[in-house]
Amino acid sequence: MIRLRGVTKSFRDAGGEVPVLRGVDLDVAAGEMVAIVGPSGSGKSTLLYVAGALDRDFQGEAVIADVPLAGLAPAARADLRNRAVGFVFQSFNLLTGLSAIENVMLPGLLRRGAPRSLAEIRAHAADALRQVALSDKAEQPPARLSGGERQRVAIARALFAGPKVLLADEPTGNLDAVTGEGIIRLFAELAAAGLSVLVVTHEERVSRAASRVLHLAEGRLGS
Amino acid sequence: MRSRGLLWIALAMLRADRRGALLDAAAACVGAAALVFFLALGLGVSASARRMFPADARLVEVLPGNVTLGGVLGGGRLDDDAVRRLAALPGAAAAWPRLSLRVPVAASGPPAGMQYNWPPGMTLQVPVVGVAPELLGGDVGAGLRFEDGGPGGTIPVVLSRRLLEIYDKTIAPAWGVRRLPAGLSIVGVELPVRVGFSIVPQKTEDRIVEARLKLVGLSDRVPIYQLAMPLQTVRRLHAEYGKPDQGFTQVTLLAASPDAVPALTAAVRRMGLSVDEGERASAERVGTVVAVTTGALVFLAGVMCALAALAIARSLSASVRGRVKEIAVLQALGAAPSDVRGVVLAEGALVGLAGGLVGVALAIAAMPLADRAAAALLPDFPFRPETFFARPAWLALLGLAVPVLAAVLGALAPAALAARVDPARALS
Repeated sequence: MIRLRGVTKSFRDAGGEVPVLRGVDLDVAAGEMVAIVGPSGSGKSTLLYVAGALDRDFQGEAVIADVPLAGLAPAARADLRNRAVGFVFQSFNLLTGLSAIENVMLPGLLRRGAPRSLAEIRAHAADALRQVALSDKAEQPPARLSGGERQRVAIARALFAGPKVLLADEPTGNLDAVTGEGIIRLFAELAAAGLSVLVVTHEERVSRAASRVLHLAEGRLGS
Repeated sequence: MRSRGLLWIALAMLRADRRGALLDAAAACVGAAALVFFLALGLGVSASARRMFPADARLVEVLPGNVTLGGVLGGGRLDDDAVRRLAALPGAAAAWPRLSLRVPVAASGPPAGMQYNWPPGMTLQVPVVGVAPELLGGDVGAGLRFEDGGPGGTIPVVLSRRLLEIYDKTIAPAWGVRRLPAGLSIVGVELPVRVGFSIVPQKTEDRIVEARLKLVGLSDRVPIYQLAMPLQTVRRLHAEYGKPDQGFTQVTLLAASPDAVPALTAAVRRMGLSVDEGERASAERVGTVVAVTTGALVFLAGVMCALAALAIARSLSASVRGRVKEIAVLQALGAAPSDVRGVVLAEGALVGLAGGLVGVALAIAAMPLADRAAAALLPDFPFRPETFFARPAWLALLGLAVPVLAAVLGALAPAALAARVDPARALS
């Protein structure tokens, strides 16, 4: 689950402080898929990174997968992201020098404690790729995959560690309509399976699939 | 697994930027190769210099005093009493007297079986010094004895080991005679001599006696151009030929440790005696020249390693700046800033290790080539070594450790830069 209370964040530019989030409250329960919509520059991605324990420079309270972020050391935040949070990005953000399966293995290689062998991590990554129907593309570099395939690799990577929270930033923004529908369906299935799914989007088809749609405008969240 | 995981990621990152990694490794390779090559050369030349000047750091050569008040009062004479007092000095472990033979000895023929090594008609004046058997330590051949056999007996002698090398490389070519066959042991050969005969007629004694000198060993403690015979034999010959006792020519003083030498030298001088520092000074001069040259070359190699570190720092910094988004993705997947720092440091270490491995291999491969070139270009001189390079195992380890260390040092700033990447900003 995700619980944000009074989250406030601003950026500093030449003109001074620019508020981005103004006292945002948000709850995403397990099994729920919430879509955040809003115009460009409204702070949707910033909210997502706060919820994903990537951004620590904010005021307010954030609890992710039952772990309060306040006072968490960098290593503990990293561990939380590794174990409990999965990220899916608009531009996929796969490491270009690695094959599909190697990209999926990354969370396993960064896991603290519970040592697993390279072979075990690879086998687990192969399972994750099988779940997104990409077993036959495991050894391909991202450059040889279509947009939809790259996004499925990114989803397999996000699901590798069995997260409780899935955060997606415009996940269908670079995909055609058919492929995008498939990804949205997959997110809905993952939410139904018990994940807390938070999707930032400005696409209506994504909003339609969500349990709730929230609008972010001028740093404030509303229905 | 996690450290192996970070190493795996570092390898993957290097694989993704093969060209940059190869250039960095090449820089580390040059530094490692130069370091190993020059250090091996310095150590090898140093070892050769030690063979050429085998000065024992614990030995102090004591000579009779110069004309001083102490000398006028009898304080500068090297007699048995002086030897006892020298041996009793604080820091002295032993005192071994030497006495130059003042009876001429000459050889007019070769040792048995070595006719090819004797120019026809040559008479060789043999300079002889009497030494205490203890001075030679274990240099006397097995089953042979270094002691006076009395009148008419074969006289045991010991030769400087270095003289053989000089004979082979200088004397034999100059005389136009054969060199000593490689591996030949000349210990045990006997040389017929005439005791009392000098090639300078005025110095020939009234009594000339045929005798045989038997080589019983080779030693670095025997003066290079003298034959050493037992001190007792020299004293007996002096008595037989009526030579007055003038005290010992020299006393070799053995210090308990090299650190005791300065104090011992000062005490000797206070006794009104002199200290011959010629051989030690030569050895020290050569050692200093070799050490300074080696130091300069190693410094040059160190500069190369430092330049490699700078090149790696520059290259990795550029690489980190170009990979900000990838680093942010790693952080999103669970990498802490310390992990990111570790990955970049591991990249540096791997580059340094690869460069070091190739550099050490290249340096080792270049050594026989350099030896071959030296053999072709340099004249044959005494103590010329088979190889100018020493190859201790630690040198290869050093050749790996230094470029790795240099590369890791070079990676410190890029690693800090990578650890400071703000993932939220980089991914936005």
